[in-house]
Amino acid sequence: MSKRLLSIPMALIALSCLYPLFFALNNALKTNKEDILNRFGLATSPTFENFTQAWTRSHLSDYFLNSVTATVGAVLLLMLLASMAGFALAILRFPLRHLVFIAILASLMIPVQVVLVPFYKTVIAFGLLNTRIGLILSYTAFFLPFSIYLMTSFYAGLPRELTEAARIDGARFWQVWWFVMLPLGKPALITLGILNALYCWNDVLISLLVLQDKRTLMVGIAALRGEYTTNIPLLSAGIVLAALPIVAIYLIFQRQIVNGIATGAVKG
Amino acid sequence: MSELSLTGVTKAFGGVQVIQGVDLSIEKGEFVVFVGPSGCGKSTLLRMIAGLETTSSGTIHIAGEDVTKAEPYDRHIAMVFQSYALYPHMTVAENMGFALRLQGVAAPERRALVTEAARILQIEPLLDRKPAHLSGGQRQRVAIGRAITRHPKVFLFDEPLSNLDAELRVQTRLEIARLHQALGATMIYVTHDQTEAMTLAHRIVVLRAGRIEQVGRPTDLYDDPDNLFVAGFIGSPKMNFLPVQASGPREITVAGQTLTLALSVPLPTGPLTLGLRPEHLSGEGPQVTLVAEVVEQLGQTSYAHGKIDGTPVIAEVRGHRPQVGEAIPLTLNPSRALVFGADGQRLR
Repeated sequence: MSKRLLSIPMALIALSCLYPLFFALNNALKTNKEDILNRFGLATSPTFENFTQAWTRSHLSDYFLNSVTATVGAVLLLMLLASMAGFALAILRFPLRHLVFIAILASLMIPVQVVLVPFYKTVIAFGLLNTRIGLILSYTAFFLPFSIYLMTSFYAGLPRELTEAARIDGARFWQVWWFVMLPLGKPALITLGILNALYCWNDVLISLLVLQDKRTLMVGIAALRGEYTTNIPLLSAGIVLAALPIVAIYLIFQRQIVNGIATGAVKG
Repeated sequence: MSELSLTGVTKAFGGVQVIQGVDLSIEKGEFVVFVGPSGCGKSTLLRMIAGLETTSSGTIHIAGEDVTKAEPYDRHIAMVFQSYALYPHMTVAENMGFALRLQGVAAPERRALVTEAARILQIEPLLDRKPAHLSGGQRQRVAIGRAITRHPKVFLFDEPLSNLDAELRVQTRLEIARLHQALGATMIYVTHDQTEAMTLAHRIVVLRAGRIEQVGRPTDLYDDPDNLFVAGFIGSPKMNFLPVQASGPREITVAGQTLTLALSVPLPTGPLTLGLRPEHLSGEGPQVTLVAEVVEQLGQTSYAHGKIDGTPVIAEVRGHRPQVGEAIPLTLNPSRALVFGADGQRLR
């Protein structure tokens, strides 16, 4: 009985999450006229015209490529660096190790907005403005502290004897990382990859700042809203197109996401 | 030349000295066991030999080469861990061949060496399995196999049987003894289980608080311990210790009985300790009576627990099965009695 009672608020929460998706998809299938006349009703004569228009005339295809490049580049770089740093902080013993880890954790507490001006100046100073590599490095810089924290927690939970066995087997430190720690870190790395992919893909602020004469998908969609204030179906089609890869990633890797969120929370 | 030698080896963690000037020499092909209570430094000493802990002072030589500051992989050693430490993402064959892979040994030769080690340990059918699909005993064999494939100069075992159940522990202990005979390799084995130490070792090193208390053959430590600690640590059930006073240059009085001991030096005045093993309370000598308060029946033998002069005593009883409350006649056999001075050192 209590389970049934509990299922009512759960269902309401699920509905509140699903409705925006349904709203976007439903409106994307309407014409602009139909949307004005009946915004909250079902699409009576569904059309894919809005998707075509958003993809081609609104240049979302170009923006999509920018987003994919920046996201894939940043995610791969973040996985590599976080795994190396996590291994070093969790396994190796060196002076000021704890201080370094605390400094990394402390940087998690600084909001992006606070450092935008010095960040922007740095991007210009390094000649990275309006470059995809600049955006990849920017994402890496901003999302690296959390990534290092996650990987350090994961590696700290692995038995220390594994590293020691590898060292006795003849592995240098980089070989311990490459042959033992990197493969063992796969569950955490998959989670990290997915979470960082979500952050990078959904970002507007950093990409708006770094890629000023190109656009990522999210910035492109935000611009759609500016240009076509009244064209809700076109905006909805853009949102659906942008959400599709993320929904697909989530559906494919949902088990790893849930497992990975628990990573670091519980050792062992 | 000894295969392994430790000279004045010390280790300090912060201000705490956990290994305090250890000198030890181990010959090629010897099986040496480090024993001692928890926290005595036996595992730390093994890890220092392995290169997993730095040495604060002193030197470590392996096959004549000073390896005090060498990395673990340059010491020509192999180690079997208590937790097995098998790489979970690799198959058994990959685990066993990992060291060879790092050395750049070609795949066919690697496979041959791994198969040979697997044949010795009878784990050939397991080569393609992952560690998660093995039992505890099988994992331990794989861990040993991983050590064998490297053909190291010295094998190090860090409490390798602790995670196994009692039956498997006895079986694996025998296998390690057979393996040592077959390979003729130098082995150092750490355990807190003195039965393992007694059954496996050529020589036992008894450690306490980072110091070596005594080094010797298992029977020597059992029959001729240097001090109270070794006498109490080696042997199960442990040796009985009775507080006594000298009643003459070579005489002591226990429970109203006088024992004349064959000592080369006269007994000092002051408190002494008489040591008698539970299995040595028979033969010729003065008799005392022990009233059994608790009896442990082990089938072929029994242990009766009681008190002599208010001191707890355990006596092994063979021939009949005593009952609680039974008065058991015991003999204080002077030829088996050991005497220790107030400082705990043996008086001979």
